[in-house]
Amino acid sequence: MNDEFIFDLLHKAVKEGEKQGAKFVEARFDDYQLTSIDLTNDIIKESSSKRRRGMGVMAYFNGTPGYSFTPEVTIEGAKSAAKRAANLAVTTDPRNRMKLEFDERPAIKDKALPTIKKHPKDYEFQDKLELLKRGVAAIKENVDATTTQGMYGEFYGEKFFVNSEGSEIFWTPIVVDMRLRADIVENGKRATAGDGMGQSQGLEFFDNDRYSPEIVGANAGKWCKEQLDVVAAPVGKVRVLAGPTLAGVIVHESFGHLSEADFVVTGMSPIADRVGEQLGSEQVTVIDEGVTPYGGWFFPYDDQGTKTGRTVVMDKGILKGYLHDRGTANKMNTEPTGNSVAVSFMFNPICRMKNTYFEKGDLTEEEAIEKVGNGLYAISWRGGTASFDGNFLFNCSRGYLIENGEVTKPIKSASLSGNILELLKHVEGATKNMTLRGNYFGGCGKGEQYPLPVGMGGPEVIMDQVLVGGAQ
Amino acid sequence: MSFDDLRERILNVTDSALKFSRDLNIPSAEVFVFNQSSTDLSDQNGKIEVKDGVKQGVGIRVAIGKKLGFASCSGFEADPIKAALQQAHSMAKVSPENPLFNGFTPDSKRSDEGKLDPKAFDLDATALGKNIDGINNQIDRSDKRIIAAYVGTSVDILGYAVGTTEGCLSSTLSTSTGVGAYIIAMEAGERKTGSWSVSGREVQSLEGVGETAVKRALSGLGSKDFEGSEVLPTIWESRQASTFLLFPFMAGTSGSAFVEKRNPWKDKLDQHLAIEGLNVVDDGHDPEYNSTQAIDTEGTPLRQTQVVENGVLKSFLFNRMYGHAAGKESTGNARRQAPGGAPFESLPSTFPNKLVVQNGSKTLEDQIKELDKGILVTSLPLGISNFNPITGDFSGSSTNSFLVLNGEIAHPLKNITIAGNFNETLMNIQTIGSDREITDTPLNSPSMTFLGHTIGS
Repeated sequence: MNDEFIFDLLHKAVKEGEKQGAKFVEARFDDYQLTSIDLTNDIIKESSSKRRRGMGVMAYFNGTPGYSFTPEVTIEGAKSAAKRAANLAVTTDPRNRMKLEFDERPAIKDKALPTIKKHPKDYEFQDKLELLKRGVAAIKENVDATTTQGMYGEFYGEKFFVNSEGSEIFWTPIVVDMRLRADIVENGKRATAGDGMGQSQGLEFFDNDRYSPEIVGANAGKWCKEQLDVVAAPVGKVRVLAGPTLAGVIVHESFGHLSEADFVVTGMSPIADRVGEQLGSEQVTVIDEGVTPYGGWFFPYDDQGTKTGRTVVMDKGILKGYLHDRGTANKMNTEPTGNSVAVSFMFNPICRMKNTYFEKGDLTEEEAIEKVGNGLYAISWRGGTASFDGNFLFNCSRGYLIENGEVTKPIKSASLSGNILELLKHVEGATKNMTLRGNYFGGCGKGEQYPLPVGMGGPEVIMDQVLVGGAQ
Repeated sequence: MSFDDLRERILNVTDSALKFSRDLNIPSAEVFVFNQSSTDLSDQNGKIEVKDGVKQGVGIRVAIGKKLGFASCSGFEADPIKAALQQAHSMAKVSPENPLFNGFTPDSKRSDEGKLDPKAFDLDATALGKNIDGINNQIDRSDKRIIAAYVGTSVDILGYAVGTTEGCLSSTLSTSTGVGAYIIAMEAGERKTGSWSVSGREVQSLEGVGETAVKRALSGLGSKDFEGSEVLPTIWESRQASTFLLFPFMAGTSGSAFVEKRNPWKDKLDQHLAIEGLNVVDDGHDPEYNSTQAIDTEGTPLRQTQVVENGVLKSFLFNRMYGHAAGKESTGNARRQAPGGAPFESLPSTFPNKLVVQNGSKTLEDQIKELDKGILVTSLPLGISNFNPITGDFSGSSTNSFLVLNGEIAHPLKNITIAGNFNETLMNIQTIGSDREITDTPLNSPSMTFLGHTIGS
């Protein structure tokens, strides 16, 4: 199937939806290839190759949306999905008390392609397995592990989008990811540690010094060994330097979701109607961005065909806006921010984050540690949750004591909890180094739509008054 | 579409895929064919969202001896299925042997697949809209404390088939419908939420769904601080006990984790892990449960497995491969996780069908009356899911709990922490309730009173 055929199919779907009474129609086609390998104790525990391909049609009638999808990539399949979507919108419109209409805009015709040097499709399964084997060898050079695990994942494909305005957009999502983990059970003690992440790049990402299998494996081994001799974390309200991963997950899970505009227009979010208020300290600036200078996920368009940009959600502690689709933006008299995203063609697009992070500050890592004085350097996390009243709890799986301005001993796993709206008032600074992840493993969940690949991370962030609990 | 049409369709696709595998000279293959048509309608405080569609796809395992490969594709078109077969075959060729693998299912034995409700075919967007109206009518919008109401309803008609080159060709169907409401209430700056939902294989009654959600949200207003830290009994409503106990039971009943020596209960078989009054069965036969199917996702009939009898651990839950590795039969617990709603994209793993905790004799009210001082837990505390499966330690924070004093609910509580250890909790069950509800959670328990949890503010 060539691009012309797919665009033609989507145009037919749009026309069919309009014929059935829809006032505006969006049609998209996703064709993704996902491959993963799990190498546990030198055996391939699991490997898989998945082709996820199909069409989704969103039809609008008076601002009421109806969505339908099909895995049948045929003219009949496209027309049938469009007909159903239009009928759903028309049928349910009388019941809709919040009609989210939007203005027509000029058509966009664009192809957005990231620069990929070593595309995973051009390499064999064995090449990817070899990456894991190299990483596992590096683990073994650093620790006598009871269990070693290497996980490789890749996701790439094509996205086509057409709408009633005549837009035709094509772009190619991609991510490669590698994780290495070591476990030790020794004299009744158990230690576990891992390293690695993903990025919207090709396999050249693993040529990078920091993320080569040798470095990632060595880190997993060293950090695991370190866990055999740990001290208890200080408990109570503690000043914490959160590493990029942990700071990223806190801002995503506990604040980012509150800023998604569908939750705002329906009154669910506790930060609804609070634009212009000083909700955080002057050290807090929160960004959501489609294509960043720091890497992460390559996300040039959303699933409504809106070109993504850089959205300042919070600027120096002042709430500036929300993450919108076209309908919520129109209702709140602002511009769409390109946050209408679906996890696959089997789901309707809803307001989701892209790459969300605390903006970098001006501290070096050493200055940040010194500024903490006495507290905790919380780097990795394993498990956590956040609720819609802003409460969060995340487990720090790798961290260190900071004593008198210096990093000293590794700590046992500890829980970090609080309420994000309180925590933002106690952010005291951020470093100028940035790390954004674009993960294959894991992902963001909202309702039934999980796992959505998103970008997370940021600088290291100093947060005071974090409630630290004991080991779990 | 009828049930017969659906069954014929998935069996035909399975049979065709097996024929393709023979054409491609693939020595051994397992084909999992999945089809789920769904319609969902929600009213998010006035904003309507509606969608329908058919999730369709095929997951293929290919074996060359003990070397395995897996690939999947969405849809039922022949070319992607053939490509998936070739891809799985290619992966098997380069994979090392899996010493545990004992072949695909060789026959087509099946158990009963549970109730099928033909009325599910009639639940279109118009009918679901009436459900929404019915629940909305139960919500008193004149009460200014209610600031937002979310109402949702859905219907699913699901079928899957398993075929193997060794001789299995079998299918199973199910229907499920659900309705639910989520309410946000606010008064004097205090914000509380309440929810209620019902689901089952048959079209559900709307009675009480909206009213109960409202009542639960409003009951949390006027909360007070819990002072200090204290070890107290905790009473968990049926639904909360179900989710709470699922965490240790998921980890502890896993047959794959048992074989891999990472199951926290691996040394507890035939030993007491709970009080004598606790009996738990993994029930794959009850025709009312959404989880009941004729076969699991690798073609083994579902069954009833006594997991805990009088407090003693009697069995782990296995699929074919891990059962064989443990010297046991499969217990019919091969399930495929469905991230993104696509189980055909996942390999089978061991997972409970429906762990059912046998009822005791006391109602929730009885348990409250018998308590001098304790905590009533009405929603799962945040953070419990991060428990340590090795030690069993857990802690979470709850914004929906009540203080019980002198046999009565005294008042709702502001945020409290609840901490304890699951191993100790199972040995410290004071009372098992008589009110088990059937929900979609893979474990259904009646309400329970536990001793020994530390409550803090």
